[in-house]
Amino acid sequence: MLKIKNIDAFFGKIQVLRRVSLHVGASEIVSLIGANGAGKTTLLNVISGLHPSRNGSRVFLDAETRGWRPEKIVAMGLIQVPETDKVFNPLTVQENLELGAFLRRQDRALLKKEMEKVFKLFPILKERKDQQAGMLSGGERQMLALGKGLMSQPKLLMLDEPSLGLSPLISSEIFCIIQSLNRQGTTILLVEQNAREALRVSHRAYVLDTGRMTLSGTGEELLKNEEVKRAFLGKDYRGKWER
Amino acid sequence: MPIFNPEMETMKRKELLELQTERLQIVVNQAYSNVNFYRKRFDEAGLNPDDIKTLEDLRRIPFTTRKDLMDNYPYGMFAVPLRDVVCLQFPLGMYGNSIVIGYTREDLKIWRELVARTMVGVGITEHDIIQVAFNYGLFQGAIRFNQSAELIGAAVVPTSIASAEVQVRIMQDFRSTVLTSAPSFALHIMETMKRKGMDPKALSLKIGLFGAEPWPEGVRKLIEENLSIQAYEIFGVTELIEPGVAGECLAKNGLHIFEDHFFPEVIDPVTGEVLSEGQEGELVLTTLTACAYPLLRYRTSDVTSLCTEPCSCGRTMARMGKVLKRTDKMISVRGINVFPEKIEEVLASIKGIGPGYSIIVTEKQGMNDQLKIRVEVSSEILEEREEKKAVLQGVVQHAFRRALGLGVEVELVKREK
Repeated sequence: MLKIKNIDAFFGKIQVLRRVSLHVGASEIVSLIGANGAGKTTLLNVISGLHPSRNGSRVFLDAETRGWRPEKIVAMGLIQVPETDKVFNPLTVQENLELGAFLRRQDRALLKKEMEKVFKLFPILKERKDQQAGMLSGGERQMLALGKGLMSQPKLLMLDEPSLGLSPLISSEIFCIIQSLNRQGTTILLVEQNAREALRVSHRAYVLDTGRMTLSGTGEELLKNEEVKRAFLGKDYRGKWER
Repeated sequence: MPIFNPEMETMKRKELLELQTERLQIVVNQAYSNVNFYRKRFDEAGLNPDDIKTLEDLRRIPFTTRKDLMDNYPYGMFAVPLRDVVCLQFPLGMYGNSIVIGYTREDLKIWRELVARTMVGVGITEHDIIQVAFNYGLFQGAIRFNQSAELIGAAVVPTSIASAEVQVRIMQDFRSTVLTSAPSFALHIMETMKRKGMDPKALSLKIGLFGAEPWPEGVRKLIEENLSIQAYEIFGVTELIEPGVAGECLAKNGLHIFEDHFFPEVIDPVTGEVLSEGQEGELVLTTLTACAYPLLRYRTSDVTSLCTEPCSCGRTMARMGKVLKRTDKMISVRGINVFPEKIEEVLASIKGIGPGYSIIVTEKQGMNDQLKIRVEVSSEILEEREEKKAVLQGVVQHAFRRALGLGVEVELVKREK
């Protein structure tokens, strides 16, 4: 579905992505894990067309998307739910959701149908639909952001740190929702610092380290990988001969 | 035709090449950042891991040789801390510094699958009883047959180095359906049965899975006809995994290289130039998924050619021709690798003999069978009493047996001046 090949990206003169390649197959959950500053968000921004990339290719649904404007990419069904500023605080929940379907704003009937679907998935949003988004709790805001992403009928949903700042209970609920979205047919590219949960729900995963891909494998394989354990799952480093 | 992992083994070649590119970049990153040897190699060649963007770019990476592995003995080539390593293996009979190859849990899991792929590919199922007549001590890869058989639910009888008579008796009593061994040992079993007037049709044996030494097509025919079985080859490279790099399928038309884990090239052994499909040359392998012991462009010294034409079995993985030649001086005798360098080491360790020597190999059915080493000694020694000479001969013979893991005949001859 998505094929990224040899992407380089820069902030000014600083190179943040180095010939990064990755692929996401239809109906997969693929997660991208890595420490702060590894380039995860930049990679998502590049895929969405928000950040310029140099070299390489970015193919989504067999179309080369280099040079495309972000709205064209969104129209193709590639939706990014950003890490921060994911909802419009002064607007109501309903208005936020409507904005999620901005490209289809003419089709009121469709909009209504999609919103009902979102409300079914997140009943709490229906209860709060006339409240300002800024009044929601962290978990509710995350749900709203997800719902907003779903409003434009994504083929591939890219989620940037959906569990950030959430309590363990709420975040595991979010991961459950991600899995059920996937079961209903949405392909997901997940960026996470919560490596354990992300790997648990993913079919495959990549590890990005200071702009380079350093590992790949199935979620299960990476959960058992010693390097991943040390770097992300809080296992200490010691040689065999050290006691 | 039976396929263990259809998703991988029958993947479209275009997708396979993309997967290989992705994995190659990752293994290059790992090797560069975790193995000093590779970092130095890259830096000396003025090469940056970021330069490796396509599979063709791989050609810019210098080769890795057996000498590199020996120079970095014991753990210099490891890309993970020793703590992550769960298996250490060393090929016996190596000269100089040995080689130590490490595997993580994940590496072993992949290895298990690859041997199972070949097993399933030649028709082995959970109904089979596999008799493993490899020397578990000398050939540490033998244990993989146990683990992979477990994966597909087949039963294993590790008969190991039991004599041919015992092997045949077990084969009969246990109703073994698969024999896996060096092909020369299958010949030996065959001859033993003939000598005893036993009918191979009385056995339940159906499949032979052979490897660890070169065996020409003629030998396959001979074994198949005389043991009433279908014989297939499984191939490995000690420094990567052995067995499990490649294996034949029911089509018996070349060995499928497991390209999702190894990237193969065939090169001109003299110029190092990459040869095109079908041309014969030295096999060079790059590990695409090895965690503990990644090897970039490792020169295997095995001579073969590649073919990426689709196979009738449905697998899309490239096939390599049977390996019958080497680019180095190593010879394989009854499945045991003998390096001339090792022979020289043994000679140097005993006073008064060598350094001159010559090797005489007697063949059986086109395969090496017996090794005789003519060792040059001074005329004073030759003029000694017979008993004294016999003692020296015994000492040399014993030293060879210990060093090579193989019984050899020794003859003392006059040193050429």
